[in-house]
Amino acid sequence: MTPLQFEALYQSEWQELEILLQRFFVTRRKAEPGTLQGERLATLYRRVCEQLALARARSYPAYMLDRLERLTGNAHQVIYQRGEFGIATVKRLVSVEFPLTVRAHAAYVLVAGALLFVPMLIVGLLVYFRPDLILSVVDASTASSFEHMYSPTAASIGRLRSANTDWMMFGYYIMHNIGISFQCFAGGLLAGVGSIFFLIYNGASIGAVGGYLTERGLGVTFYPFVATHSAFELTAIVLAGAAGLRLGHSLLIPGRSTRLDSLVAATRRCTVLLYGSTVMLVIAAGIEAFWSSAPWLPPGIKYGVAALCWLAVLGYLTLQGRRRAS
Amino acid sequence: MTVDVLDTVVTAETPEGILLELRPAGLSARLYAFAIDWLIRILVLYALAIATRPIGGVGTAVWLILFFLLEWFYPVAFELWRSGATPGKRLFNLKVVMDDGLPVTPVASLARNLLRTADFLPMLYGAAVVSVLTRADCKRLGDLAAATLVVHQPRGTRKTVSAAVVPLAPLHALAPRDQAAVIALAVRAPLLTKDRLDELAVLAASVAGNDSDPGPQLTQRVLGVAEWLLGRRS
Repeated sequence: MTPLQFEALYQSEWQELEILLQRFFVTRRKAEPGTLQGERLATLYRRVCEQLALARARSYPAYMLDRLERLTGNAHQVIYQRGEFGIATVKRLVSVEFPLTVRAHAAYVLVAGALLFVPMLIVGLLVYFRPDLILSVVDASTASSFEHMYSPTAASIGRLRSANTDWMMFGYYIMHNIGISFQCFAGGLLAGVGSIFFLIYNGASIGAVGGYLTERGLGVTFYPFVATHSAFELTAIVLAGAAGLRLGHSLLIPGRSTRLDSLVAATRRCTVLLYGSTVMLVIAAGIEAFWSSAPWLPPGIKYGVAALCWLAVLGYLTLQGRRRAS
Repeated sequence: MTVDVLDTVVTAETPEGILLELRPAGLSARLYAFAIDWLIRILVLYALAIATRPIGGVGTAVWLILFFLLEWFYPVAFELWRSGATPGKRLFNLKVVMDDGLPVTPVASLARNLLRTADFLPMLYGAAVVSVLTRADCKRLGDLAAATLVVHQPRGTRKTVSAAVVPLAPLHALAPRDQAAVIALAVRAPLLTKDRLDELAVLAASVAGNDSDPGPQLTQRVLGVAEWLLGRRS
């Protein structure tokens, strides 16, 4: 069969497939449900694959191979595209997949938690007993601004709020805190060193501020302020750090696969942790901006709500989705 | 038979048993696309800053949140869109796909864009530049981990090179590589001196008749074969 005969024989199928694909790529949203003809598209796709293989084996001219390659490439994209990211997917992610992934990474989560909380405690205690050590973490003016922010007489607690509103701080917390968690994750690509560094660094910074304010007797405003949103914020950072540690681990100890394969597999699994981490940080930012900073709420209520939040977060991560997973 | 060719084509096999050819985009194309996207983001943020300033605190919040979204999710949103490319990439005809040529998945898109932080190190995307320059498939670190590729979108075939040449069927079937060589010669023909073109055409003489002497006539016939291979028949 000459190329021209081949072309004449199958031309009509190629044109039909081109029209179907055109509908998919350009007018999908406007198209009537019946006009997309998925079944016909799949049939044509398989036939064109066969024709491409034949054309290649017979060394048909370049323009024809090119046309067939483009046809199969585009149809391949349409036929094997991912399912829509709908409500059902999100629901399954929240109710089963995310808590399940957290539990599957329990060891990483524990190590990441230790890397955040142990330096926090040690530095906190150090600064509490030797307050001048705060000056090796921040400079004097920053230290005094911390004191000012958490003084019981301040109109709103937390970061300085000169003419700022809760809304503005909400935006700031989202930008700043979620950025930190993403760094903890990405640091994992540096064989985990980046994640370890960011976890320890953030733990130590929080510890230093906490120890300093406690020593100054400002614990009465500081702890009610941080208690509630830290349930979401610290947990989220630990989860992002755990994802980073998993990346680093997969690079350092790839087991029986190549380093690259091991990294790809690890990334696919632990990116789910980032979904949850990000949502938790948005919740934390909302609480921090609108609830934690309200000075008129008595500490008792804040502590009570904080305890509920911690219980809810830990319960969700350890218990949710058990039945449906098994 | 296998000849080492200095090329960056990545082949992906489909379940139907055919090989799709993906052409990874190199540093310069990706850099231009990145610069365009960067400019777009700067302009949008600048416009937003002007628009949200009069609203006060809420405006600042909106601006900060949008800043955050643009910084981290601008590429994710566009990659999960139908085109699989940010405006900058689309301008340079690039596209993000999975290693197997499929549209990029949400997990992969998120991973490759969050891991941008690691690519940025030690400064100004140093790690990404080294990785893209040293790897044949031009992946940055985020692409490695997410198993994605940035590829050139295939363009439509050129229909013809020179209208003045009479198309001519080759004397024997040509392997795709040889076809490509003949077509490439025809594409470069206007850039070559006449003598050099004749010299090169001699190398392809077997497709257009071995008997003829090297010279303009043979060259015209070789170019005619190229036209035929591109699909022109008269």
